[in-house]
Amino acid sequence: MAGSLKPVGAFAITPHKVSVCILLQIYAPPAQASVPFPFSSVSQHNRLGLFLLALTKSCDDILEPQLDELINQLKEIGGLLNHWLSEHLTRKLSALSSPDDLFNLFSSLRSILGGPETSILEDDQIILDPNSHLGMFLRRCLLAFNLLSFEGVCHLLTNIGTYCKEAVSSCPPYDLPDEDDSNNDLEELLEYEDMDLESFVFRKVAEEAEARKRARESATFHTHTPRSLLGLVEDIQVSADSKYKNCDGIGQGSEFLGPSHDTFRGDDHNSGLFLRTNWQVQGYLREQADLIEKHGSSFPLNAFESILKQLQKLAPELHRVHYLRYLNNLYHDDYPAALENLHCYFDYSAGAEGIDAPSSSSSFISYGNYEIALLCLGMMHCYLGHPKQSLEVLTEAVRASQQHNNDTCLAYTLTSICNLLSEIGISNATGIIASSYSPVTSIGTSLSIQQQLLVLLRRSLKRAESLKLTRLVASNRLAMAKFDLTHVKRPLLSFGPKASTKLRTCPIDVCKELRLSSYLLSEFGSDGASLTIDGAFSTAWLKNLQKPMASSVLSQENRSENGSDAFQFGSQPSSIPGYVLQLAGASYLLRATAWELFGSAPVARLNALVYATCFADGSSSADLALAYVKLIQHLAVYKGYKEAFSAMKLAEEKFLSVSKSRMQLLKLQLLHERALHRGHLKLAQQVCDEIGVLASSVTGVDLELKTEASLRHARTLLAAKQFSQKSGNAVLGLPYVLASLSFCQSFNLDLLEASATLTLAELWLSLGSNHAKRAKALIHRALPMILGHGGLELRARAFIAEAKCYLSDPNFSVLEDSEVVLDSLRQASEELEVLEYHELAAEAFYLMALIFDRLGQLEERESAASSFKDHVIALENPKDDEGLLLDSYST
Amino acid sequence: MGSKDSCRTELRTAIRQLSDRCLYSASKWASEQLVGIEQDPAKFTPSHTRFQRGSSSIRRRFRTNDIPSTPAAGVSYTTTPVPEEDEIVDSDCYLLAKSYFDCREYRRAAHALRDQTGKKAVFLRCYALFLAGEKRKEEEMIELDGPLGKSDAVNHELVSLERELSAYRKSGNIDPFGLYLYGLVLKENGHEDLSRNVLVESVNSYPWNWSAWSELQSLCTTIDILNTLNLKNHWMKDFFLASAYQGLRMHSESLSKYEYLQGTFTFSNYIQAQIAKAQYSLREFEQVEVIFEELLRNDPYRVEDMDMYSNVLYAKECFSALSYLAHRVFLTDKYQPESCCIIGNYYSLKGQHEKSVVYFRRALKLNKNYLSAWTLMGHEYVEMKNIPAAIDAYRRAVDIDPCDYRAWYGLGQAYEMMCMPFYALYYFQKSVYLQPNDSRLWIAMAQCYEAEQLHMLEEAIKCYKRAANCNDREAIALHQLAKLHNELGRSEEAAFYYKKDLERMEDEDREGPNMVEALLFLATHCKAQKRFEEAEVYCTRLLDYTGPEKETAKSLLRGMRAAQSGLPSMDVEHFPP
Repeated sequence: MAGSLKPVGAFAITPHKVSVCILLQIYAPPAQASVPFPFSSVSQHNRLGLFLLALTKSCDDILEPQLDELINQLKEIGGLLNHWLSEHLTRKLSALSSPDDLFNLFSSLRSILGGPETSILEDDQIILDPNSHLGMFLRRCLLAFNLLSFEGVCHLLTNIGTYCKEAVSSCPPYDLPDEDDSNNDLEELLEYEDMDLESFVFRKVAEEAEARKRARESATFHTHTPRSLLGLVEDIQVSADSKYKNCDGIGQGSEFLGPSHDTFRGDDHNSGLFLRTNWQVQGYLREQADLIEKHGSSFPLNAFESILKQLQKLAPELHRVHYLRYLNNLYHDDYPAALENLHCYFDYSAGAEGIDAPSSSSSFISYGNYEIALLCLGMMHCYLGHPKQSLEVLTEAVRASQQHNNDTCLAYTLTSICNLLSEIGISNATGIIASSYSPVTSIGTSLSIQQQLLVLLRRSLKRAESLKLTRLVASNRLAMAKFDLTHVKRPLLSFGPKASTKLRTCPIDVCKELRLSSYLLSEFGSDGASLTIDGAFSTAWLKNLQKPMASSVLSQENRSENGSDAFQFGSQPSSIPGYVLQLAGASYLLRATAWELFGSAPVARLNALVYATCFADGSSSADLALAYVKLIQHLAVYKGYKEAFSAMKLAEEKFLSVSKSRMQLLKLQLLHERALHRGHLKLAQQVCDEIGVLASSVTGVDLELKTEASLRHARTLLAAKQFSQKSGNAVLGLPYVLASLSFCQSFNLDLLEASATLTLAELWLSLGSNHAKRAKALIHRALPMILGHGGLELRARAFIAEAKCYLSDPNFSVLEDSEVVLDSLRQASEELEVLEYHELAAEAFYLMALIFDRLGQLEERESAASSFKDHVIALENPKDDEGLLLDSYST
Repeated sequence: MGSKDSCRTELRTAIRQLSDRCLYSASKWASEQLVGIEQDPAKFTPSHTRFQRGSSSIRRRFRTNDIPSTPAAGVSYTTTPVPEEDEIVDSDCYLLAKSYFDCREYRRAAHALRDQTGKKAVFLRCYALFLAGEKRKEEEMIELDGPLGKSDAVNHELVSLERELSAYRKSGNIDPFGLYLYGLVLKENGHEDLSRNVLVESVNSYPWNWSAWSELQSLCTTIDILNTLNLKNHWMKDFFLASAYQGLRMHSESLSKYEYLQGTFTFSNYIQAQIAKAQYSLREFEQVEVIFEELLRNDPYRVEDMDMYSNVLYAKECFSALSYLAHRVFLTDKYQPESCCIIGNYYSLKGQHEKSVVYFRRALKLNKNYLSAWTLMGHEYVEMKNIPAAIDAYRRAVDIDPCDYRAWYGLGQAYEMMCMPFYALYYFQKSVYLQPNDSRLWIAMAQCYEAEQLHMLEEAIKCYKRAANCNDREAIALHQLAKLHNELGRSEEAAFYYKKDLERMEDEDREGPNMVEALLFLATHCKAQKRFEEAEVYCTRLLDYTGPEKETAKSLLRGMRAAQSGLPSMDVEHFPP
């Protein structure tokens, strides 16, 4: 009810918490020796402590485990002790038959807490530090119990009854417990207890003996547990420790919803179900939110939705559920539902549970933080491709945050406006900016959208820096680098002596910008994310426990399955929060792009590889797919199409649902390139048309794609022209090559420049043998760059051209220096064969055959000639194997 | 419709049977209708009917058209025989159980009937168990109220009751009352389709149980569902349909149904109250007030529906009448949600919003699904400038009933107050979707579009047009349309709307700045169009006003005369062939 909210952190005592308290009592019995009674070793004792910590911290589920689940986990943890532990637990629980038993239990629990003067500890004494995590937990339980009304105690008692009963009959009975005649319940409990006691008396002696016996052997069983934890257990130590443990665990990358199998258990009856602590539930929701954002539409919509439904039923005042529902719907492109839930969430929460911790400023009380709602709505519209609405909303967000002095929100809003502007591009945005005067920028509408974007970017970067929002600064720097990459700064002077303009597309500049961002990222620890990490560790620890040791064959299989995709080896939870990984990863992708633009394929590949290996689990699958695409493109250029296609098959399997279009596009691109190389013009045209179809899909026209399609179309036509007039007019080509050369020089596009130089050399060469020397000089100038960064085709072309130069040089004698020419021709022919570039390969073999002929090496000549013939035939009669590939694409 | 006499006999038997089964509210409803049937004046002395006559004269004053009491052609009513009791004499156990039940000792009642197998006994036992479960549920709801508002308290009897009743139904060993209870249980368990079928079965074989009809109505959330119900034609069906139409916001249909029913049940308070409800939704406050005055005269201790009366009094700002009503219901039963709501309304009218919130809150404690209290509390928070609280309150109303356009409208207004017009649009759109013929909603939406931050004038014009088309009482839309068109430089359209606005103001005898503005615009416009005669008319009208406009009009007139005398060729244009 409005205004009468209870404190959110409130803590309810439940049967599961009672169990944990009982286990705590075993863990730290008052006044005992360093290794208390049932434990045989320190490590065993510590393991229970760790288990309890993980239980109270893990966020893998919204519901507390049932007794049988707890006992199963205890089995893993307790090793040989498990019988004793679970027996003790159930016995203690079922002994609680009247409210008074509960009172006694809780007053006995008090004694295991240390007093305030815990610093004066006797040796070998185990006392729970009241300020440790477990100590706090116990104290909260005690407090919650003390606050219970008598009805509350009765409910707790009944609930413990059902909790035990369900553990006994592992399948829950259809009947609901009869609330009215609680006598019945009590009787049953008493019976149960009697039975238990009876058997217990007989077993007790034998067991104790057995436990002692085990104690002697057990030391060998737990050698892998580090002994770093002695006495008091502290949070930091634990996280370090569980990290160690996870190193030999199996990654669970593909498991989105661990507990989905038992989330439906409570649909019929809610009586035995309790939510975990608020902190744990929030942690769970946060983790799920990360997962949704990471996996996008491949996240299971309905399964998660039903969990949310249950959560809402159990905690109607936990409004965060609506936010998760919004995210879930958004990433499954359900616009109306997403909109509805977004509004619902902010109506209830007033932005108080929003992105960042609620600002405790006085303005919140009277106004709420609704500007965050606007920010989210704007981002939603942006995601769904409604730039106009998005800009309207974000403008409103700017106004609202200015009005309420919410600087943080303002900074975020500015950044998302930058994102929006850079995403929608020029053609869409002109209308928007002109129509809605934006007080955001307060720069005149005369500026182009790109200029506005730059100004905005600068401003938001400055704002983020002054507010010390490290995350935002980092992402702003990334955006800045991206901007630099995509926008070439024109020199201000367009005539007169060319000043050497320094372009910011230069990788060095981009990297500088990026380095600054990663430096900032190292300070992530300050913003409270470490808590979540802690929870995630506990979750992972518990999950690893549940993986049965016996089925190692199965896990081996899993592992090998994972191993098939060579990129993924870092799927253990890391100590770095996901968003940091994402930001840091994005910088590598940008670096790759920068180097690609610069023309250095190996460095670009390196960066893409780093991204794919190190940031695979932190990144969204769309980004990851992009990295893969880059790697495959590289493969195609450097290793030939066969390898590229086989790599692509793998990648396609991996990104089955996500960004399918990107993979399809890549496939078409590769097919087109190969068709061009092989001279299959018809096929090339066909593929071009396919790309065109891809560009204008149902969802809207992708202009960039469209451009590419037409560009490729042009290339196809050009190739056709080249074929028809093979010995075209070389002089006509000269001015174009020269123009492109100067262009490349002014834009620092070194590799392109090298290739232009090569073309120039080829042109000179075709003008006659008297220009051969000049051509050779040109080639030699470009060769280092080509060999260092160039692709197979370029290299081969350079080799052939070089060979031709030598051959046409009148001062050069083949007989004396044949290896110089042969070597480069051999190189060229090998590379061209990999590329299946028949035309050039034929040329290389032709030259080779000529040389061998001159040298009188007939055998070699014959083999070269037959290779030549093969390639010519292949060129003239294209085989239909790519038809198969196309078919496989279209089906 | 059956004759009045047959209705009367049917109802008399039904009341006995219903109260015998402890279905008290259904029996109360039936009794109200029974005394609502007009007495035959020939059979009774005037003293018997005095009370009825006196009241009917007032009612007739406001009756627009007399509805003939004969049913429309083609509708034939089936007569459902009143079922015979299976046990003529109740067993001793049944008597014991019933007295326990009457003392609200439900479990004891159920226990007393544990071995009985008669249908009546079985029904009472199950019904008692159901109520016991409900009672316990209510208690647990308070006991289990967790930190996050965990309200998963359930009626623990439901599952076993469903099983038992379904077994009875399968074996055919169930009477209409049992079916009613079965339908109720099914509904609580979320099996809505089956529940609907069972309830239809129940009302078809025993139509006089109003509780069954109301349960059925709550399951008819769309008109399609309502139309697919296979119901026998009985006069009770008309009551059901009228109420169902009201639930589906088909107010005029509902109104005509009720007026038709009034032919037989002339003095039924229930029908009167329902008519008032429909009129209220149609915003006919005068009529509502008259109806309620009469209702209170006949039934002075009535609390039901009085919150609506208080809303009307609030809207009309009748301080003393509202305080009188509040006092009266307070003395009658202060722990009724309606009473609290009325008092809240009174304080709100007095401008004491904090106190008002206290009473709305009390109303919500008594019934946390009390829709109008949530909305009204939202209004109070808006008055107190506590926008987050207001939004929360409205939102809860919307979550209880997503069709409550008032709460959606409130949400929109709250966000508009926060200077978030674009965000507010979403809510106005929702409310206008639910109530497309309400000019206020369209105007609110238009104002959002018009806000200087958004400045989407085309959209605003569209909304104002809709508002102008649906009976805009405050006549905002026409004026705004004219202004906006003027702003966009479309003087023809602007002139059209100014003229319309002017006509309206003349019709309603209103004066004011809008009048001056319209006249001034029209004068200049006509002059610019060289329609000097028209322009002169407007100018002379302007001369009646004081202020700068008068001077402008004078100078306009002077200019026109000069133009006319100087350029006689104007006449050709003025009177085109």
